[in-house]
Amino acid sequence: MAIKIKSLNKNYDKYTVLENLNLHIKEGEIFGLLGPNGAGKTTLVSILNYLEKKDSGSIEVFGKTYEKNKKYIQSISSYVPQSYAFYPDLTAYENLEFFAALYKIKTNKMQEVINSCIKMTALEKYRNKQAKTFSGGLKRRLNIAIGLLNEPKILYLDEPTVGIDPQSRKYILDIIKEININKKTTIIYTSHYMDEIEYLCDEIAILDRGHIIKKDSKVNLLNENSVVTIFTEDEEFKINTQDSYDDFLELCAELKKENKQILNIEYGNKSLEEMFLKITKQDLRD
Amino acid sequence: MFKYILKKEFLLIFRNLHALLVLFVMPSLFIIIMSLALKNTYSNSIDVKFDVLLTSEKESKDIKDLLDKLQDNNYFNVKFSKSTQNKKDILYSQNYSFLIEIPSSYLKDIQKNKDINVDVFSTSDMSIQNINLLKSLISSNISKQLIKNLLIQLDVNTQETKDFNKSIKHHYISKENSFNITSVQQSVPAWLIFSMFFILIPISNTFINEKNFGTLNRIKSINVSMMPILLGKIVPYYVINLFQVLFMILIGIYLMPILGADSLQIKGNIALIFLLASVVSLSAISFALVIANIANKSEDATTIGGISNIILAALGGIMVPKFIMPQSMQEISELSPMSWALDSFLEIFVKGGTFVDIKEYIFKLTLFAIICFIISYILLIKKGSK
Repeated sequence: MAIKIKSLNKNYDKYTVLENLNLHIKEGEIFGLLGPNGAGKTTLVSILNYLEKKDSGSIEVFGKTYEKNKKYIQSISSYVPQSYAFYPDLTAYENLEFFAALYKIKTNKMQEVINSCIKMTALEKYRNKQAKTFSGGLKRRLNIAIGLLNEPKILYLDEPTVGIDPQSRKYILDIIKEININKKTTIIYTSHYMDEIEYLCDEIAILDRGHIIKKDSKVNLLNENSVVTIFTEDEEFKINTQDSYDDFLELCAELKKENKQILNIEYGNKSLEEMFLKITKQDLRD
Repeated sequence: MFKYILKKEFLLIFRNLHALLVLFVMPSLFIIIMSLALKNTYSNSIDVKFDVLLTSEKESKDIKDLLDKLQDNNYFNVKFSKSTQNKKDILYSQNYSFLIEIPSSYLKDIQKNKDINVDVFSTSDMSIQNINLLKSLISSNISKQLIKNLLIQLDVNTQETKDFNKSIKHHYISKENSFNITSVQQSVPAWLIFSMFFILIPISNTFINEKNFGTLNRIKSINVSMMPILLGKIVPYYVINLFQVLFMILIGIYLMPILGADSLQIKGNIALIFLLASVVSLSAISFALVIANIANKSEDATTIGGISNIILAALGGIMVPKFIMPQSMQEISELSPMSWALDSFLEIFVKGGTFVDIKEYIFKLTLFAIICFIISYILLIKKGSK
């Protein structure tokens, strides 16, 4: 198990951010952390990266306790924040060189490591250009490249595709998949984009108001929300597959009684977005 | 690792052209403007004199004599007019700074033990020092006329009477070497200190960008001590501060004489200037780090930092020389680190002082730098680790 969280609590003054949170993340998987604004995703990731202190609960990372193994846990983890956490006035290479030094990568290996990260994120053409001249997509790739410098066993990606065009998004998602496959890196991925989570993640947890309200594999979550759609001339009827077969037959009989001709029957999954809205309710969040 | 931290900081500084302009051009302009503006304050050869109109009902021999005497000075350009015009018109339309009304028979009246009235009028913005200077000039010249008349009556050779004012000569005495106090000698250290403390603006901007872009959080998430990160900010700005000192001194020595001011004379110990500049620099940088840690936005840092720098400068005698402040303000000014720095620089630049003369200030500045550094380190560690 890569990460084990038990009864985690975090409050800001009187405001509860995380409450009795339990979570297990398997080694080598891409774990999607979904949740509306204020759900506690960033707080959870910040605690896991020692940027904030937890109030209570226990955390284990690769079997090592959180409190006693800060150095080790930090050395095998990497945090890629949502913001462009680098220096816009430095070139891509200079940024990577600075962070490589902070990761204490030896000088004789530094060039090789930096080149590998540049290659992985396809920044070769831009290595000597100042980051402030980059497009949104390039900036996101540099942000990720810095996170790969220490060859982490756990990579935290906090909404890494915010504000970029669909082509760049697809490119970045493929890079992330590649990292996961080639390096066997455990990736904790937070996002608002359901299609990204659906595309990338093996396991998904939905966090809302400081609680994990749903956690399962992507396959199970989508199957659980499979639906049969019956199309008539002027209407469509959806029946959840969890409902009984009798319900399906009953609906068909009723339609026949009303002389409504069934034109088509489709079997498919509800999208993750529909499921997300259903689970977290649709009320507007602050 | 420290090498790369320094490299990053140096690159960020040298790519920030606006900050470099603020750090080098702004104080240079201040030095040039203030040295030229205050040139007369520290000089005997004043090129701008106040226009004074001496009026009386008629131009008697005594009045003519007084006029001749009043014209022989470095501060006032005195003319006579018989007409008693509107006072406001004389001061504000004819642009006289002073108007003196004196009875034409004033000497005879004094000799007859009669009270006389000499009225001096000035524009409302005239400083009390200049008013007193003119009053004492009138008073001393009337006294001279009275003595001369008395000596004539006593049949004493009046050629023997001397202008004692010209006999009294003033000499500045410095502690080690002899040189004259000039406006350049005052302005260079003052605005040099101000510019060193202005390092706050680029430091806080870089630091706040690191906080706001999440770079600082990213660094904190890496297994790295914050101490080299903070120290890495001190070294490059310390180097910049020393370059500022060198640049401003060179302006004082070479540019100011070309512009018509006096040349900066440095006869103090160069090693002592380097030591003092280093301590002032560390104080300025540590203070900047505290402000950068407190502020959340560049605008906050510019506001808090700018205001605090201006207050410290105003109190510290940078903007207004301390010797013209009242006693209570001079005591308050002792609280400003800029005052400690200015007193030390003036001790070296103007009085030719030694380490013994500035050791108290060096100690205070070092303590200030250490306290500010500790505060900024604690703030850096604590912030974000809620």
